Amino acid sequence: MVHKIENQYKEILNQYMQRQSEQNLYVGQNFSRQLISENISPEEVISVHKAAMQEIYKELPDVVWHSFDFLIEMMINYGLALQERQSLLQRQEEIRVEMDLAANVQETLLKTKLPALKGLDIGLLSIPARKMNGDYIYFISDEEGHAGIAVADVIGKGLPAALCMSMVKFGMDSLNNSPASPSEVLGVINRVVEKSIDDSMFVSMFYGRYDASTAALTYGSAGHEPAILYRSKTGEFDELYAKGLLLGVSPAAAYEEHTVQLEENDLVIMMTDGVTEGRTDEGFIEREVIFELIQQKKDEPAQTIVQHVYDELERMQNAELRDDFTLVIYKKV
Amino acid sequence: MNIQVELEETDNKLKGYIHGEIDAHTAPVLREKLEAYQNKDGVNAELDLSDVDYMDSTGLGVFVAFYKSVNAKGGHVKLTGLSSRLKRLFDITGLGDIMDIESVGKGGN
Amino acid sequence: MSNQSSVEILTEWDIVAARQLGRNVAKELGFGTVDQARITTAISELARNIYLYAGQGRIEIQQLTENGVKGILIIAADQGPGIPDVRRVMEDGFSTSGGLGAGLPGVKRLMDEFKIETIPGEGTDIRATKWLR
Repeated sequence: MVHKIENQYKEILNQYMQRQSEQNLYVGQNFSRQLISENISPEEVISVHKAAMQEIYKELPDVVWHSFDFLIEMMINYGLALQERQSLLQRQEEIRVEMDLAANVQETLLKTKLPALKGLDIGLLSIPARKMNGDYIYFISDEEGHAGIAVADVIGKGLPAALCMSMVKFGMDSLNNSPASPSEVLGVINRVVEKSIDDSMFVSMFYGRYDASTAALTYGSAGHEPAILYRSKTGEFDELYAKGLLLGVSPAAAYEEHTVQLEENDLVIMMTDGVTEGRTDEGFIEREVIFELIQQKKDEPAQTIVQHVYDELERMQNAELRDDFTLVIYKKV
Repeated sequence: MNIQVELEETDNKLKGYIHGEIDAHTAPVLREKLEAYQNKDGVNAELDLSDVDYMDSTGLGVFVAFYKSVNAKGGHVKLTGLSSRLKRLFDITGLGDIMDIESVGKGGN
Repeated sequence: MSNQSSVEILTEWDIVAARQLGRNVAKELGFGTVDQARITTAISELARNIYLYAGQGRIEIQQLTENGVKGILIIAADQGPGIPDVRRVMEDGFSTSGGLGAGLPGVKRLMDEFKIETIPGEGTDIRATKWLR
């Protein structure tokens, strides 16, 4: 094998030495590709070069041969760097496969059942910026027409955020009480998160409880991006602000809650900061832009509105998502 | 992708000046610099953010972690020069109520 | 059958002496230029580790013959602090990212066989062999 390469190399080199044409160089370049695919190290290439030169030009002075020996010595570490790179690439591939699996596990783990409520049309979309999602939507519902929704966002992205989110999910599971009030729910989850996570990791959460019999939405927020209420009658957008600290900062945090009455065709827009913190080359995407997008499709089903907002924001940002994107729209019908 | 952090400490008074953007890429730089001071007793820190033109939730995480450890050691953290955008971030998250922050163009708290 | 000689590593110049010893033995055994360069690079790395982390130690070079195949064995031994986390040190990217050179994974790649024994507080013994093919 090595012998074959030596002969081929000598042949190609000899051709070049005679004519120095671009054609010869092109042949050489193709040959180097073959050397790489056969894992021939840089120091071996120089050694092959030296041997070929010795056969073609026997009478060159010793200084030339010494210089090649020196060059071989110089190339040893380059050869090692190349091998290290190959082994790191392989490891990267292993990690990628593992992340894919983890993302699948997460998807199964965080699956939530969309409630079917009289008079409420729900649309939702949650897209991770990387493989694992640090955003989370959770529904709790019962037969009496109560439905709770939690929209949460872990500060941070990727694997650590996803692991932290699983903890929030188990907190919500243990609650399993659909008529519970938002301030109660946020208080419980705050203590779960406060006890178990690292100092620089926090979760923001919006919690809304909808009562189908009265069309009333009671909501609270733990440091989360305020939900937006669109009033169909007046065409106005209002922030649904409720005072409350991020989850996991202080065990003593208390959470306010407020109630709004939904009228026909009103929209409640719940989201994470991946929706509002979008940026284009010209700067931030202002909230008014998002309001306008919603208004364009306000007469369509909730899912159509959600998809439209996502498609347009993605287009404005050249298909580049900087943060996990989660948007939920309730439409009173 | 750019941030400048200048910290200067004399007699437990930490003066800081941060310039640039604080996001997932630059936050580790800031965290590392602040961590050098957060385990001292009774640090009185004042960080000037008037030249921070963008901060996301990762940056917020860094300040909260710093605030928590300094507070636990009997110290105090004050953030000054917050732009209206940054101020909103602290208000929404409820951190504006527990941390000492001062926005641009105002005298006191 | 083995034939041995060694160099004490105390100063940076001793690294050069260890290389010279290794190269002489490798040449004598019939290793080609490329393998000579690989063997001396491995010796360099091992001697440098002793010089930098243990302060002093010894590089020993042995000629081996096994089933008619000749080989060279490098032994790097010191009574230094030992390596607390060998797995970490043997990981790719650990020493190279800090600009410390090829590191132990590099030595392992340059040679055919590699064995490390290290006890924190007592020292490190590394044996690396290359066979003549």
